[in-house]
Amino acid sequence: MLKVDHLSKRYGDTLAVDGLDFDVNPGVVTGFLGPNGSGKSTTMRIILGLDHPTKGRATINGVAYHDLKEPLREVGALLDAKAVHPGRTARNHLRALAASNKIKRSRVDDVLEFVGISSVANKKVGGFSLGMSQRLGIAGALLGDPGVLLFDEPVNGLDPEGIRWIRDFFRSLANEGRTVFVSSHLMSEMAVSADQIIVIGRGKFITQGSVDDLTANANGTVLVRTSDNKKLTSIIESLNGTVHQEHDQELTVGLLTSDEIGQAAFGAGITVLELTPQRASLEDVFMELTAGAVEFGGGQIETIRHE
Amino acid sequence: MNNEVTLMSVAKSEWIKFRTVRSTVVGMFIFVFLTLGLGVLITWLIRSHYATMPIGQKLTFDPVSSSLGGIVFAEFAVGVIGALFISSEYTSGAIRTTLAAVPNRVRLILAKLFVLVVSMIVISEIVVIATFLIGMKIFSGVVPTDSLSDGAVLRAVLLSGVYLTLLALFSFALGIILRQSIASISVFVSLLLIVPLLGFFFPQSWQNHFQKFEPINLGGSMMSVTSKPLNFAPWSAFAVLLIYVAFLLVLGTTMFTRRDA
Repeated sequence: MLKVDHLSKRYGDTLAVDGLDFDVNPGVVTGFLGPNGSGKSTTMRIILGLDHPTKGRATINGVAYHDLKEPLREVGALLDAKAVHPGRTARNHLRALAASNKIKRSRVDDVLEFVGISSVANKKVGGFSLGMSQRLGIAGALLGDPGVLLFDEPVNGLDPEGIRWIRDFFRSLANEGRTVFVSSHLMSEMAVSADQIIVIGRGKFITQGSVDDLTANANGTVLVRTSDNKKLTSIIESLNGTVHQEHDQELTVGLLTSDEIGQAAFGAGITVLELTPQRASLEDVFMELTAGAVEFGGGQIETIRHE
Repeated sequence: MNNEVTLMSVAKSEWIKFRTVRSTVVGMFIFVFLTLGLGVLITWLIRSHYATMPIGQKLTFDPVSSSLGGIVFAEFAVGVIGALFISSEYTSGAIRTTLAAVPNRVRLILAKLFVLVVSMIVISEIVVIATFLIGMKIFSGVVPTDSLSDGAVLRAVLLSGVYLTLLALFSFALGIILRQSIASISVFVSLLLIVPLLGFFFPQSWQNHFQKFEPINLGGSMMSVTSKPLNFAPWSAFAVLLIYVAFLLVLGTTMFTRRDA
């Protein structure tokens, strides 16, 4: 299990991470979602002991990364696929990583095979496409067969086939009981690949929950078609609901449930022709949540550390 | 089964990294080529002109430092090898992958040092001994020669290899501090070549005092049989250079453990 406790990180004047607090549990794929520059990568670097937190701490199964005895056997991470010496071959890169943690040499060929880059194992990494580099990075993360896996923006640079492959791969890792923590700024990607989602904005925790929870709690709208739209509009407005005239005969009602609207229409003797609750998409929820987060920052978007 | 990360497992990993990049292999080749090749060229030129050499030069002639004259050029190749061993990890971003596998930063530096010291000392000593022996072969019969059976000669030859190894560590330490390949190599070359030039702006009496502290002159003292009047004695020169290297390494490692990767 991965635990982040009151974590803060300041770079000069910028508070990149501001009091983050969350747990990432085994057995599910947890998405780490936020706009670019919201502190996702910084948080991941702190979890891996690469950056020192200003306050708070991150632990893996109760231990700080720095104190892990066999780091690659406990945590596998892919932060930046291009963070490899370009002049070294894929196999030699993995061999060096394996040797540092006393991982058998045969494991190198196994993971190369698994991610599907065996044929270029003896080629220099500098000539790899981003997709191939991502696969090499995943191979490195899997070397020690770890129980906790971290991926920072893993679908970047992958083709549709690769994206599908990686989704299934995350799912299978989680099904094996591992902790899988995946960051992304793409809501749509998280909606299909993650079970649990942690949303942050401007370094602050915004919300956490399953995809269903997040959309259920959001302000959905109700599509209404009645015999007397004009009359219903005034009734809804008196109940503090919002009304938008969509087409000629359709109303989109906000801030009221379909039950409330139906009751009101019945009470006023209006015939309801259609009453359809419209669930907010995760995308809408995300925009709504992070738009709020931007206000906290006082509009200093240009000063935020680029990820 | 104990799979704990240890100094030796990290050293093994660093050894794989050290020898699997072209910069190390090419750097070593240039280093050997310059030391040996220029050594042969210099000794051959001395042999052909020795008869006409002024008597004063003949009296202070040192067969050891003459035969190892190629080191003056080879030391820059050594500097590149040392600096790149750490700076290339920053340039490529690979340092993050490395530190995720080896979170103990002091252990990482020690492992890299171990690999650098062992490989540099072995190659340097083989090269300087071979260069010296070939030089003496070329000199023999025309120019006075020295033999490794003479204690002072053996010391001068072996300390030449030690000098080159210490230079590699010197630039390695600069690489830790500066984190940029080009910056590290530039500063290394500047300290070796440009700082001595600055001495010319100062009065001669000052120069006499300070020039012996310059790395190149420390090297000159270490690899010559005869002590020059204004320079350190060989072992003192070794100690001064060792202090430089130790200071930079401690400074670099301290910075390395404190800053974000």
